[in-house]
Amino acid sequence: MIEWFAEPFALGFQQRALLGGILAGLMCSVVGTWLVLRGMSFFGDAFTHGVVPGIAAAVAFSFNPLLGAAVAAAVMLVLIEVVNRNSRLSEDTAIGLLFVGMLALGVVIISKVDSYTGSLTSILFGNALGVTRSDLTWQLALGAIVILASLVLYRPLLALAFNEDKAELLGLHPRMAHTALLILIATAVIGSFQAVGTLLVFGLLVGPPATAALIARTVPRMMLGAALLSVFSVWLGLVLSYHLGTAASATMAIIPVMLFFLVLPISKRVHARRQARDNVPVAGSTAQVPA
Amino acid sequence: MTGTPDLIVEARDVELRYGSYIAISASSFQVPKVGVVSVIGPNGSGKSTLLSALAGLVPVATGQLRVLGQQPEVARTRMSYVMQATPVPRVTPITVREVVGLGRMAKLGMFGRFRRADRAAVESAMARMQITDLAGRHMHELSGGQRQRVLIAQGMVQEHDLLVLDEPLTGLDLNSAATIDELIHEQRADGCTVILTTHDLDEARAADWVILVSGRVVASGPPAVVCTRRNLEVAYGLGSMHDWEGFLDDPAHDTHLH
Repeated sequence: MIEWFAEPFALGFQQRALLGGILAGLMCSVVGTWLVLRGMSFFGDAFTHGVVPGIAAAVAFSFNPLLGAAVAAAVMLVLIEVVNRNSRLSEDTAIGLLFVGMLALGVVIISKVDSYTGSLTSILFGNALGVTRSDLTWQLALGAIVILASLVLYRPLLALAFNEDKAELLGLHPRMAHTALLILIATAVIGSFQAVGTLLVFGLLVGPPATAALIARTVPRMMLGAALLSVFSVWLGLVLSYHLGTAASATMAIIPVMLFFLVLPISKRVHARRQARDNVPVAGSTAQVPA
Repeated sequence: MTGTPDLIVEARDVELRYGSYIAISASSFQVPKVGVVSVIGPNGSGKSTLLSALAGLVPVATGQLRVLGQQPEVARTRMSYVMQATPVPRVTPITVREVVGLGRMAKLGMFGRFRRADRAAVESAMARMQITDLAGRHMHELSGGQRQRVLIAQGMVQEHDLLVLDEPLTGLDLNSAATIDELIHEQRADGCTVILTTHDLDEARAADWVILVSGRVVASGPPAVVCTRRNLEVAYGLGSMHDWEGFLDDPAHDTHLH
């Protein structure tokens, strides 16, 4: 039995896949917690597509994909802001435009490369088993930045997740916090795509925090829960992919989503019991005259 | 205009806008250092906008506004503004104790250490607002009155010379309303100025100063000077004073039903 669990991590590239996945999972859980609380899933999803042309250009012209992804993310952020400032369209339209535009541009660039299909698949769906030592070093650096920045910005981000006006009144700079969060999401995507692919990063960004949100009563517990869930998902995903012969990145990304649907009914029952115990009023009932 | 420090509010030709919509047209008024200031006026008359401008949330379009002798954005550090029914997303896992604790961040900023004194302030404000037993609950697990008491406790832990409350008593249960009403009187006795909006004319008459608003500041002064039939007719429209029994009823205005 132990062998069954140990065998998938016997070789160096398998261990690097595990380490890369765990680093991706940890940074995504911390940033993903704020992303879920701010209801910015669409933005996060768009980002995972938005970095594609940068990486595609890096593959086509042989430079560091991290640099390409960072430039693409910056271009996307600026263009979303340009649409927001110069039109009356809602932000999700701006995000949607950039989402599809950037993805299409990425595919156009990569279609000029000889190994078109292979490169595209590896960008979009990751190549967990191809993670190199240098990839891990980069991941470690970006992960440290993301986690440290999330801790430093804890109070402004918490105030922002509570109420933007109140955050402003408390002098906790909600606009700065929002912009910083966008940059952190981009950094987490850039730091994780090599392990799990640009599209599947989203699974780690949203899955574990959303599952943790079902049970956690405070933000630090939600982050901790998301981190544990993501490490578990990465490990289980790699074990299953090894034994079932399935794609490693996709197997890692599907676990947190499955966990969410496992936890959902349990959390519903726990909440109902809690409400009955605390005699929590039904939402909206206000005019209670004390007995 | 240099602010006069002994005036709580000093407004000269102040106009407040949302885009091209004028919420308050050019108004000048002053509020001296008094205990309780009531802001009254019909729905949509600009009461909340006026309070938001005092707190620096709504920029002054034209004219000049001073609060506690300073620009509103600067004076903000000395005031505590409890907005009307602050919406909190249901997804945010934040307990009542943490919500009240957020009030301390105005002083502590991003890095200030949360010390024993801060914890004591939070506990004392929760006890004062009778929400200690709710400390572990989330906002969406509370009734409207309980939520309002939590938000006021959050305002209380902010160090302040001026407490601004937007409709603190509207649509509340009797217990919550009584607790908040007592607190307002305590604040006044402690030398703090409380500015609040209300629909209750008796409550306005009991204040030390009244600001009557209707798309502009119609009158500002002691209740006996402001709450005249003529002024109220100007603000609320002719005919609104028939069958008047002291309460300018606003049945549709229960903002806590979120």
